[in-house]
Amino acid sequence: MLVGAFACAHTPQLLIRPPTEDRDLVLRVHAALGRVRERLAALALDAIAIIGGDHVEAFFLDAVPALAVYAGRECAGTFGPYRYRIPIHEPLARAVVEQGIERGFDLLYTQGATLDYAFYVPLHFAMPTPPVPIVPLHVNVYLPPQPLPRRCYEWGEALGAILRARPERVALMASGGLSHFPGTDRYASPDFDWDRDLLERLAEGRGRELAAVTGAELDKAGNVELRTWITLLGAVGGARADVYCYEPSWHHGNAVVEWPL
Amino acid sequence: MSAEAHYLFPPARAYQLNRCLHAIKSDPAFCARFLAEPGVAMAEMGLSAEEQAGLVPIDRDALVSRGAHPYLVFMADLRLRMARESGSLEYF
Repeated sequence: MLVGAFACAHTPQLLIRPPTEDRDLVLRVHAALGRVRERLAALALDAIAIIGGDHVEAFFLDAVPALAVYAGRECAGTFGPYRYRIPIHEPLARAVVEQGIERGFDLLYTQGATLDYAFYVPLHFAMPTPPVPIVPLHVNVYLPPQPLPRRCYEWGEALGAILRARPERVALMASGGLSHFPGTDRYASPDFDWDRDLLERLAEGRGRELAAVTGAELDKAGNVELRTWITLLGAVGGARADVYCYEPSWHHGNAVVEWPL
Repeated sequence: MSAEAHYLFPPARAYQLNRCLHAIKSDPAFCARFLAEPGVAMAEMGLSAEEQAGLVPIDRDALVSRGAHPYLVFMADLRLRMARESGSLEYF
């Protein structure tokens, strides 16, 4: 069963705040992630399927998968002083791989790849108590050529169908965005207008429109990571988004959103 | 993807450079070696003199023009700053 859908920012400055970050803004995003944690607890979940874009951490240039599923017993990684290790819901992960392949998606699966902070940061703040196992789902967002937004949306449609047919109570979470340009000369100039227009469309239940966005448009708007959200949108279709927060910092549009199902 | 895109296909000639940036960001032991003896660590990665000059200190434009992935430059730089300035950071 697919019982919940959320999208969360994962900027590392939410976890480790340098003096250049507005502390009150960071705390407001934490509060929104705390609302997600409460909602996840109320949903009495068996698993969280979390869609993230590996930041060239697990998947360097030695092998660049478009779409990947973590299907081991657990997954682990580090970020600064943080050392994390999270159990994977193995039967659900295996079902996603097997049925995803069956539906025509040539998925890579891994039982040992490192888990990037893109997955960890939202879970650090939003994992309910007691914690539930996860199924990390990677989408290549930073190493061109990335999968087409349309393909991400179609994968999300298949993923939604797979999850809805399962006995477990599953929440789907997209990690990433919104506008930011790490490592480029646009770093201090995100496209907040693009983000606000996007959030308006999502609040109106117009998520299907995102399937038609081009990769070039995402790159131009600092939203290459939106592929994780677009994957989720394939699973929730025309559901209307409840925007918990949109907090633009000097370099990043921090959004936290739920699609009540 | 157009040539004006912020993130481009990483050219094969920059593989060693990108590998070094990846190691700085993702391999704490290498990052410590880089901080202690950058010349030795970069030689270990087989970097050219020009690439080494772009890394110490980090010159983003020079590295990106040589094919470095902008995100890897960004996060390698952030990791080095986190190691050097850990006292000024707030951990949640």
